[in-house]
Amino acid sequence: MNAFYASVEVIEDPSLAAKPLIVGGSGDRGVVASCSYEARAYGIHSAMPSAQARRLCPQAVFVHGDHARYSEYSRRIHDVFASFTPLVEGVALDEAYLDVSGARLLFGPGPRIADAVRRRVRDEVGLDSAVGVATTKLIAKLASKAAKPRATLRALDPGPGVVVVEPGAELDFLHPLGVSALPGVGPGTRSRLERFGVITVGDLAAIPLDTLTASLGPSLGRHLHELARAHDDRRVEPERAVKSVGHEETYARDLVDADDLRREVVRLSDAVSARLRSSGLAGRTVTVKVRFHDHATITRSHTGPYPLDTGPELARAASSLLERVDSCSGVRLLGVSVSGLAAGASRQLSLDWVEQGRAAAGPGWAQASRAVDEVRSRFGEGAVGPAALLDERGIRVRRTGDQQWGPSDDTRQGKS
Amino acid sequence: MKFSCERDVLLEALAVASRAATGRGGSLPVLSGVRLEVGGDRLYVAGSDLDLTIRVETQVKGSQDGVCVLPARTVTEITRALEAGAVSIESDEDEAHLSSGRYRSSLRALPADDFPRVPALTRGDGGVTEGVVNLDVGDVGQALRQVVRAASSDDARPILTGVLMTAEEGGLRLVATDSYRLAIRDLPGRNVLGEGQQVLVPSKALAELQRLLPSVSEVELAFGDHDATFDLAGVRLTTRLIEGDFPNYRQLIPSSYPNRLVVDKEEIQGALRRVRLLARDATTPVRLALRPDTIELSVVTSDLGQASEEVDSKYEGTEMTVAFNPGYLVDGIEATDGDEVSLETIDALRPAIIRGTGSEEFLYLLMPVRVS
Repeated sequence: MNAFYASVEVIEDPSLAAKPLIVGGSGDRGVVASCSYEARAYGIHSAMPSAQARRLCPQAVFVHGDHARYSEYSRRIHDVFASFTPLVEGVALDEAYLDVSGARLLFGPGPRIADAVRRRVRDEVGLDSAVGVATTKLIAKLASKAAKPRATLRALDPGPGVVVVEPGAELDFLHPLGVSALPGVGPGTRSRLERFGVITVGDLAAIPLDTLTASLGPSLGRHLHELARAHDDRRVEPERAVKSVGHEETYARDLVDADDLRREVVRLSDAVSARLRSSGLAGRTVTVKVRFHDHATITRSHTGPYPLDTGPELARAASSLLERVDSCSGVRLLGVSVSGLAAGASRQLSLDWVEQGRAAAGPGWAQASRAVDEVRSRFGEGAVGPAALLDERGIRVRRTGDQQWGPSDDTRQGKS
Repeated sequence: MKFSCERDVLLEALAVASRAATGRGGSLPVLSGVRLEVGGDRLYVAGSDLDLTIRVETQVKGSQDGVCVLPARTVTEITRALEAGAVSIESDEDEAHLSSGRYRSSLRALPADDFPRVPALTRGDGGVTEGVVNLDVGDVGQALRQVVRAASSDDARPILTGVLMTAEEGGLRLVATDSYRLAIRDLPGRNVLGEGQQVLVPSKALAELQRLLPSVSEVELAFGDHDATFDLAGVRLTTRLIEGDFPNYRQLIPSSYPNRLVVDKEEIQGALRRVRLLARDATTPVRLALRPDTIELSVVTSDLGQASEEVDSKYEGTEMTVAFNPGYLVDGIEATDGDEVSLETIDALRPAIIRGTGSEEFLYLLMPVRVS
């Protein structure tokens, strides 16, 4: 989709049309999640700090975004995709790979399917999209980027909408692109490659594998060597297994106090564990992400002997990771995630609950958590939660999509 | 510093001491080294990671007293690769020269002043023992084999990475738990600690001790306020003790069990070995269906397959199915003495006890896996 969140906001509120619109956190610490092409004309792009975006375009309209609404639109887009082929691999709410090789008899060749998908998403959902058609995921993704609109201050070039890279023409398409078009090439790798005089993917393809692995390491070197030759044998996998479940949050004010940090860990852990349980998953590896006052970001993780899916267990693991981090300079962002996921059906019981004299109560938090899930499904997420999250306004549980792009102005000023 | 000796003598000393040295890239680079000290005809080789220090004393032909610290891995590998015969090492300010036959090498030395001092045992007013105690290595080796395995390797809970050594009815008791299982071994009549006293020894140090025991006949134990030493012929192992309170393990052990299974140890071990092959990882449980004359062991892994095997048994109690982590179960059964092993349970959610029949000295408590 083109400018997905921003376009959804325009559908919901047509008065926003043709304005520089930014979806994201409006506070000092917010980031731009998505922006309209009118905003892009000012040089604003997603992941840019909101403060910078505001400097570039003071008249931009900020909206905070609504995760539930985007999920609903996403579902409708995916319904359209699914009507063409069952082989749909969702990459993001607004992005998917479709393997249409088996659908050509029904709907015609790839380029015709691309046009049909675009048209139906436009007619049925109201959103503009860009489609790349190619023989591999890598080229299709890059072609879809080439199909997108481009904005300048003078005019909006609507883009071709569909870009087709015919079989055999992959290298002609790929080689003129800059190396940073390839997945795995960030600013660091790009500047290292530039020192070799490698600017385009074509330059990269001319470098021998040995030279690449020597300077970039064996795995990245080999990866880029393959990509530069347009070798990509990844299939479209309809049900990509979830690899991790996590939440993170940027705070309006740096957290310094150990009790505050601990409370936030409990809050994030509670939300992550609820999501794990709702998908029937549990995970062994707990990762804590901390961004300090100076934006330096670290992660710490620990793999325990057994998969976890309850808030208290997760909070304990995450807290003990956080205790080993020096947070006295202030924490602006905190994240808790769980990976190493497996179906949560069986569970090693621990002697801890026997020691704590709860032998008669059964296997501790597992049952309590199930009860919490049931109460929340009937009475809402704020109906029950860890006591640490209680304040005068009730239980401050974290909801999916909350503060995704940083706190907004009003929380900065302490209003509710 | 200058000395020479047989390659095998040097290799053994280096190999033992360097087990306490840390890998490269640690916070204190000198800890990746071994410290060699020559005094007369004695060579002392020490490795340390600050928590654990292993020092080996051996006889060499010394020609000049002195100290140098060499990279543990490199010097051990060189010595291992040498032909049998005499080796000599001579060090000056910042280099050591190693030669043997027609082989020569120069190694850059690590700063000897940075190497931690081998701690002398401190015995303050609260000192745990006066003097030292000798222990028969046969018993100690077996006790360590039974107990150390149950200690945790999870640094997030440091207390559980230790083995509790405590005075118990005039003997010594070893206890370890990783919060999923608990192993207890009594060594009656071994008065190592004063009555009611206890220390928490890192299991890593005890695992090293275990490796060294087969080559000696006696081990001498001494406890200080913050550390413990184990003296074996020519090797001294010094470890920091873990501070903190060990969980109250006594209350974990139920006083009575309504269900008791007795089964041949070798048979159940064989069956476990076979059914376990279909467990995808350590967290796939093995189920035990307990019935009067036979038990059935089974493993189900949804996208791999399933396996089961029946084993003859004597079972008194309610018929039920209880599931365990296969690794923990195998560990417990393997640790028991005797030809038969007993499994006592209350229900499928409470701790079970594994013992060797006819032995009261070892007990292994294991929490089940809850299966849906």
